[in-house]
Amino acid sequence: MKKYVGKVTVAERDDIRRLFERRNGLDELAMIVDREDDELYESLVSDTRDTDARFHEWWRRMSAAYKWESVSEGHWEIDFETCGIFLVVSDGSL
Amino acid sequence: MKHITFIVTKDCQLACKYCYLVGKNTGERMSWPTAKAAIDYILGNREIFDDDGVVWEFIGGEPFLEIDLIDRICDYIKREMFRLGHPWFDNYRFLFATNGINYGSAKVQAFISKNIKHLSIGITIDGTQRKHDLNRIWKDDGTGEERGSYADVLRNIPLWRRQFPNDGTKVTISSEDIPYIKESVLHLYSLGIRDVKINCVFEDVWREGDDRLFEDQLVELADAIVDNGYYNGYDCSFFNERIGRPLDPEVDNSNWCGSGRMLSVDAAGNFYPCTRFAAYSLRVKRPRIIGNVRDGIDLNKLRPFLSLDRTTQSPGKCIECEVASGCAWCQGENYDAALTDTIFQRSTAICLMHKARVRANNYYWNRLYRKLADEGRREEFENKRKSQSTQSFSC
Amino acid sequence: MLKYLVVLLDRTSAAFCHADNPYSVRELMPLPVLQEALLFAMKENLSVQFVYPDYELPDEYVSMIDSVDHIDIRHVVGGDVCVLDGMDGDAEIDGDNVVIRTTSVELIDNLPSLIGLMSRATHVAVVLTDMLSMSDERLGRYGEFLSDLEREVAGMIQSGVVPQINLLTDRLFLAEMNNCNAGWESVTVAPDGRLYVCPAFYYEDESDSIGRLPAGPDMRNGRLLRLDHAPICRRCDAFQCRRCVWLNRKLTLEVNTPGREQCVVSHLERNASRRLLERIRPAVDFLRDNDICEIDYLDPFETIRL
Repeated sequence: MKKYVGKVTVAERDDIRRLFERRNGLDELAMIVDREDDELYESLVSDTRDTDARFHEWWRRMSAAYKWESVSEGHWEIDFETCGIFLVVSDGSL
Repeated sequence: MKHITFIVTKDCQLACKYCYLVGKNTGERMSWPTAKAAIDYILGNREIFDDDGVVWEFIGGEPFLEIDLIDRICDYIKREMFRLGHPWFDNYRFLFATNGINYGSAKVQAFISKNIKHLSIGITIDGTQRKHDLNRIWKDDGTGEERGSYADVLRNIPLWRRQFPNDGTKVTISSEDIPYIKESVLHLYSLGIRDVKINCVFEDVWREGDDRLFEDQLVELADAIVDNGYYNGYDCSFFNERIGRPLDPEVDNSNWCGSGRMLSVDAAGNFYPCTRFAAYSLRVKRPRIIGNVRDGIDLNKLRPFLSLDRTTQSPGKCIECEVASGCAWCQGENYDAALTDTIFQRSTAICLMHKARVRANNYYWNRLYRKLADEGRREEFENKRKSQSTQSFSC
Repeated sequence: MLKYLVVLLDRTSAAFCHADNPYSVRELMPLPVLQEALLFAMKENLSVQFVYPDYELPDEYVSMIDSVDHIDIRHVVGGDVCVLDGMDGDAEIDGDNVVIRTTSVELIDNLPSLIGLMSRATHVAVVLTDMLSMSDERLGRYGEFLSDLEREVAGMIQSGVVPQINLLTDRLFLAEMNNCNAGWESVTVAPDGRLYVCPAFYYEDESDSIGRLPAGPDMRNGRLLRLDHAPICRRCDAFQCRRCVWLNRKLTLEVNTPGREQCVVSHLERNASRRLLERIRPAVDFLRDNDICEIDYLDPFETIRL
């Protein structure tokens, strides 16, 4: 089940979309970078760690600021078109 | 988004009758050094390519005939964008328009799984087998017999639908295709293709009476969409609420076509404002080369494209047209059909077809809204359309 | 509408604008063609401009030319417009109007010669012949040259002499575009009776004609030569710019779109005219109503890029 719980600003949406796209880019780059290519590999690992941290920090900061509804088995999703935030749970308990 | 197109080959397995690529051949294949030089130039000149994001497109001929080269190009692009700290690393797509024949091959599938988060792939299927095979035929194998490609494409459609459920198909309508429009769109819907981008060719191929036949087909299609509820979740680009209105000469004066804001590179390393300006796309005119991978872009040659507006290129009848909005044009076809070597003369070969489309489009929306009103769902439908989102991503 | 007919009396007639005349073998316009050209001009109400070769014309040509009102353009003195190839401060001139065809490099190195010629001619028009190869560095030097020229001209005006030089003073007197308008307001007839947008189109490609006499021009897409069909130029206020459609086509492949070089050169001149106006305004009582505003670009393309 999916429930609308709030909205972020366009600038905030742009921030998380950039991080989302970067994570995707790093994931696919990881498939082709050789561990022996030391410099690029090190840079990739460090960037992935940093991007993940910034990604989770965005959700932590936004959920605290907007006080979105939450449940223990759920997670939030963002609709990049509308900037809407949805609470999603798999067991239909909403 | 910057749109950069690699013409990786001018070869194709098919010989579609309506194909605008008049100069297809098996000889012109892009080499790796040319592709690399193009990428190095583009990524190394941020002051020219200053867009927020990029679509790297691969076309042919049939692009997947060069899957090894494409795979190498995409790997290099990803590495270089990351290594250079280029902003496009956070905002890029790889885009393909394919005939679908090689889609299921091991190499193409390996490429897809490596890049799936950044891929958009459209498979061209024209509709029913009868319609598809009317135009999309295999190259002559020496027997002189015409052989359609429908069955060879269809076997890959389920896999494509699973991998890219949101990607649509592009259908091109020429004079001979008009009687099959309705059945073709409905057939594509039945295959699970929810987004059908469809348009009339811009070339002057239309015969007397085609506009009436076209209008009749679209009205029948409108009835089928309304009666069967396809307006929920399916799309056909012929029907659009924004078309068919007069345009203000000052406010609505932008160019329709994106040529010049795009960049194409061919096997010889020449740059074009769009693929339609390469030699193999032109019937009459000389290719319009705006630079090459060695010397870069001649920015003077881009100025006409970037300063081109609607009214400067349009004849009086278009400027005064009461149903002008949504009437499209292709800059390359305008150039090819113009009396002189200019991009500033708009071809109006589709004028009657556009007007027919507008009449059918008006019919569609009037019928749809009446039906929704009768069912008490008009407001709900309009609100849904306003807030319609195309995708949502799980975080 | 057409106002002028430019008659190239010989294939070797004097080049008087940006393009060089590549022809070196004489080929005089046959007398019947000349007669046809004059008839066409009279019927279409066109002013005639004859462009002369470097040799004396036979008497029958001279008398036919003298049978109509006209302007003479030639390399030697005695015409209405005297064309000089290169900077020569000591050149013999007695015409009211002088055209100097020169490269920007030669011009920059010969400011005193230019000043000398300006003091002897009613109007000097400098035409740069290296517009197709203008680098940013050379454009920068041209801008500095115009500043020097502007100070010299201001000094002359403040001392009571008002020279006329197209690079600086033309813009002071203009309130709207005053371009070449080749193909729209003028058409050129070559010695064989074929018509061209301007001499440069004839020099470049003889097959690029737009008709022939006596039928007159049959211009395809002629509207693109008009200012209102030039998206960059129609919003521009470098009114003194030649807006050379031949240069346009050479640089951008479109007759209605100027290359960056032409725009920057014209704006350097425009801005120098603005500085000149500011400097001389306290000392002169004319030009009270004219104003040239300050702008922050040298290429108007930057202001319209969509």
